[in-house]
Amino acid sequence: MRQAGTYSGLLSKMSGRAGTHSLPLARIKKIMKKSGDDVKMISGEAPIVFSKACELFIEELTKRSWTMTMQGKRRTLLKDDVASAVIATDIFDFLLTLVSES
Amino acid sequence: MEPMDIVGKSKEDASLPKATMTKIIKEMLPADVRVARDAQDLLIECCVEFINLVSSESNEVCSREDKRTIAPEHVLKALEVLGFGEYIEEVYAAYEQHKLETMDSLKGGKWSNGAEMTEEEAAAEQQRMFAEARARMNGGAAGPPKQPDINPSLES
Repeated sequence: MRQAGTYSGLLSKMSGRAGTHSLPLARIKKIMKKSGDDVKMISGEAPIVFSKACELFIEELTKRSWTMTMQGKRRTLLKDDVASAVIATDIFDFLLTLVSES
Repeated sequence: MEPMDIVGKSKEDASLPKATMTKIIKEMLPADVRVARDAQDLLIECCVEFINLVSSESNEVCSREDKRTIAPEHVLKALEVLGFGEYIEEVYAAYEQHKLETMDSLKGGKWSNGAEMTEEEAAAEQQRMFAEARARMNGGAAGPPKQPDINPSLES
């Protein structure tokens, strides 16, 4: 009897776009639970939605950081590039403290 | 490890697996590009922070709707409120796709018995489901029926 997990894992590897659901759902759920003091129960499907959202988020942040790297005419993406990308993007304001601390 | 790392975080640290993250990050960049290790670490931390942010907002959306379980719809609403509305379409598509895949495996491939859908039919079916979902979401965005008017400033 095939386990649902194995099967969908196979399918996502075949589905062209690499990295679909490759973030571990259990880990995401753990982070979600720790995000606040009174977090409600989390449906089984919510981490799946998060997984994709994270992927899109990393993609955006990475690409914007890479733009900074290119502006500096380098081929190595540095921490400062990430910081610059965060500063330059409004919706990344929530990261300002994080990037300035490090 | 800086002292702050130990003092600031009271519970055990849940983070995302470095290997998986590194792979995802590298796949988005040209092959010859390197990523400094501290830049990689920072990207991962940003992602965790992103989850924290969206989780908190999802939690609030869920509370406002008097529900006890955070559902995908709450997460989608949270993304919109926080300015990540652009992600919604793709996130929802991935979610629907996953449901289709899971359904198929649970039913042991009964999809293909008798009413064999051609690829076009399956795609059309998927589009129909997206449209339905979008209609549902747009209806939901108008505002749930019993919403306490405590924080009008939070309304988008």
